Amino acid sequence: MRKCILALAAAVSLAGAAQAQTYPQRPINMVVPFAAGGPTDIVARMVAENMSKTLGQQIVVENVAGAGGTTGITRASQAKPDGYTIMMGHMGTHGAAPALYANLKYDPTKDFEPVGMAAGTPILIVTKKNFPAKDLKEMIAYLKANPDKVNQAHAGIGAVSHMTCILFNSQIGVKPTAVPYSGTGPALNDLVSGQVDYMCDQIVNLVSQIKAGSIKAMAIAMPERSPALPDVPTTKEAGMPEYEVTAWNAIFAPKDTPKEIVTALSAALDKALDDAPTKARLLELGAVLPTKAERGGDWLGGFVKKEVARWTPVLKDASK
Amino acid sequence: MTDQVSSESQKAPGLIKSTQEFGAGLFLIAVAAFFFWQALELPHGSLRAMGPGMLPQSLTVMVAFGGLGLILTSILAEGPPLERWSIRGPFFIFGGIVLFSLLIRTFGLAVAGPVSMVFGTLASTEFRWKESVIFSCVLTAVCILLFKVLLRLPIPVIGTVIEPFFPF
Amino acid sequence: MEAFFGNLALGFGVALTLNNIFLCFVGCMVGTLIGVLPGVGPIATIAMLLPITFGFDPTGALIMLAGIYYGAQYGGSTTAILVNIPGEATSVVTVLDGHQMAKQGRAGVALGMAAMGSFFAGTVATIFIAALGQPLTKLAQLFGPAEYFSLMIMGLVFAVVLARGSILKAICMILLGLLLATVGTDLETGQERMTLGIQDLSDGVDFAVLAMGIFGFAEIVRNLENPETRDVVRSAIGRLWPSKEDFRASYFPILRGTLIGAILGILPGNGAVLGPFASYTVEKKLAKDPKRFGRGAIEGVAGPESANNAGAQTAFIPLLTLGIPPNAVMALMVGAMTIHGIIPGPQVMTKNPELFWGMVASMWIGNLMLVIINLPLIGLWVKLLQVPYRMMFPAIMIFCCIGIYSINNSTSDVLFTAFFGVVGYTLLKFGFEPAPMLLGFVLGKLMEEKLRQALILSRGSFSTFIERPVSAGLLAVAAIMLLIALLPSIQKGRDEVFTE
Repeated sequence: MRKCILALAAAVSLAGAAQAQTYPQRPINMVVPFAAGGPTDIVARMVAENMSKTLGQQIVVENVAGAGGTTGITRASQAKPDGYTIMMGHMGTHGAAPALYANLKYDPTKDFEPVGMAAGTPILIVTKKNFPAKDLKEMIAYLKANPDKVNQAHAGIGAVSHMTCILFNSQIGVKPTAVPYSGTGPALNDLVSGQVDYMCDQIVNLVSQIKAGSIKAMAIAMPERSPALPDVPTTKEAGMPEYEVTAWNAIFAPKDTPKEIVTALSAALDKALDDAPTKARLLELGAVLPTKAERGGDWLGGFVKKEVARWTPVLKDASK
Repeated sequence: MTDQVSSESQKAPGLIKSTQEFGAGLFLIAVAAFFFWQALELPHGSLRAMGPGMLPQSLTVMVAFGGLGLILTSILAEGPPLERWSIRGPFFIFGGIVLFSLLIRTFGLAVAGPVSMVFGTLASTEFRWKESVIFSCVLTAVCILLFKVLLRLPIPVIGTVIEPFFPF
Repeated sequence: MEAFFGNLALGFGVALTLNNIFLCFVGCMVGTLIGVLPGVGPIATIAMLLPITFGFDPTGALIMLAGIYYGAQYGGSTTAILVNIPGEATSVVTVLDGHQMAKQGRAGVALGMAAMGSFFAGTVATIFIAALGQPLTKLAQLFGPAEYFSLMIMGLVFAVVLARGSILKAICMILLGLLLATVGTDLETGQERMTLGIQDLSDGVDFAVLAMGIFGFAEIVRNLENPETRDVVRSAIGRLWPSKEDFRASYFPILRGTLIGAILGILPGNGAVLGPFASYTVEKKLAKDPKRFGRGAIEGVAGPESANNAGAQTAFIPLLTLGIPPNAVMALMVGAMTIHGIIPGPQVMTKNPELFWGMVASMWIGNLMLVIINLPLIGLWVKLLQVPYRMMFPAIMIFCCIGIYSINNSTSDVLFTAFFGVVGYTLLKFGFEPAPMLLGFVLGKLMEEKLRQALILSRGSFSTFIERPVSAGLLAVAAIMLLIALLPSIQKGRDEVFTE
């Protein structure tokens, strides 16, 4: 019996080696660690569609939500590194998770083969409609003057809106009352109806409310204004250049995935990001695409290291 | 645990007028005790700033009181006796489900389907080998067609163990 | 008024193009199919079908996806009635009397009444959305955390009334449901609670996992225990079409259910969940003989099913007019719209009137299609009950397993379902009813969240629940309901309170 298994294993590894040349030979699973329909899922589905065309095999999106995305990433990181399981990592799962989850089963900097950055969505600071401030400066002044009065909403521990607002609060040196919600929807609802005062979140979730005037945008945390909201000033223009955040999404493969497979995936992703319809769709969302220099696995690897180093002290400090 | 409850409650027919209510009460208290133990280390917090443990702990206390109330009724009022527990049904049904969960990723639906269903059909007293095997295989094929082909759900049809040998 | 008809005309103009009728039909068919299959919910299906709709124009794509959603609601009641498995929180109530009717050979009647009630509710809800959609969203804005909490308290009172037997046991079950809902990561601190260190429990127990376990699998085991009851179902098919008396008994429940469901559906905090429960409670309280409920009362199917469908429809209001999704399926619809370049929000109605009104009109067309699809199918479904049980139960088992697996592509969810099957079997043996527990579970998550938000916002003062008028009103209603529920038993003497 044991011999049989050994022979099988040998056959498998041989088959694996042979396959590397003609990768991929069957559909590829892309684990998206968030629920279907969210910003990360949308980005994943858009790039996956075009990458499937390039690779000649379908990339099947598999949503494995839970624990701020770490459930899905943990599972995908333990998958066989044969290129048939890849994942869409995220600012939370590959940046903030080590600080938020004490018993995280993976190390974002060591347990992955980075494939490349897909797209990011910029962060906005928004307030309720009748908040007594008309720009970021006044808002910060108000927050500092009324620390007991203001309420800040976020969509749960580990959510983008949670982390980015912690960074914002720590940079301006305030600690408002944080009101947790079980998702962006309910949080936004209470911001629109004025139960809470402000929040920070991804542009996709906010753009229609801002345009309709049901909430006010103070600034966008990007070096340049977004074409989706050309009237909203950048944090730099508003006098807070140090606050620059994007909720980035990037593709990773499990550690030890063969180099040539990672390269093939990187090339397919690269092509998807240059594809005109895909690009147009992503830009319509208000997403930011990586520049040529920011593509590929090597750049992403270095970027993840920087992100972990950036988030860890901020989040550790906030939970004290 | 539950079996103990039934035997224990049947031993004292004099005092207890409803073994079902009595068992139900004991069951609730046991569940409450378990959850209380689990929630014990969670910070309680104050009303102003409720901690994560506040609600679970208060709920376990209330469940335990409910259990006490049931025990009390079982002594005070007539009620139905505890029914007999069967072993065969639960064992094969739940065993079949467990088999499915163990096999679905490794061997895929093509294997997990028939295996778990044949195991599950053993629960019935009308079990017949041949019928069960054929029926399970046909139904698995239907499921693959329905879920994989028609609805395109990402269900592994051939699992990770055998996948490399089917390059398609 | 003129604008109202103009808008509807625009909508029907869009929805009645050949292309959109076809897409609506496909959506309804797929929806019915996944609704009937236990466990496979609209979420997984819509997610999988999203890429296919990339090529369509946005209105057509959304018409199809919406069809899947409300088609699944129709199909879900079929499974609830036939095999006692509630696929979603909203069909828990249908199980209570619907499956009893099936056991009495009245499955056809139950299915028919559910379909017709749903169609009526769908029609009214469509008009409701068209006429009042926009002003009603203002009402929803009155609901802050404190109001939601009070609404949930009211819902828990429903659960007490829902119970058939002992009130004490029902209360215990509600508490147990609430307790189960607290399992998982704490919203505020991110601390894991009572997860036994199992990572897959960190987001708590999934509703479908719990419902499938304690209703579906426990029911299989119980049926295998007494084969006689199954044979009754097989021999007595009875009539397929509701009789005159059935219709007479159902008129008012359908009307009331529709109204209740439509109003609760508007609330952006997933108020639609409460609709069927509220309707059931109302019918049971109004009935001359409440004892019939839980034993196959047709009002207990007609009312809640109408409420369910009305709520499913009006749940589109917060999505379309506010851009705020009230539940997970609607959140997915937001994603679908976004992918199609339409960002849902307050401006959809003015900026994309063809989309908004086209969808509204297509909902009515879809409902009509669903009745046409479903009524002839009733005969087939009822025939299905004649399949020998030794073949039926492995089929239910495998469908449930696949369905549960597909929710989150997780094998541990399947294991948990088996565990809750054991729990459900134990509860049955001790004479507990699972329905109040499920309601407690559904409301528990929302309730704790809203309670803590309200207390954070009020800085720890409980008076916030009484100071806010809407919240105080809801609490008053809850108190009165509880009194009415308990009074008859108190009058009958103390013994009856705790026993059947």
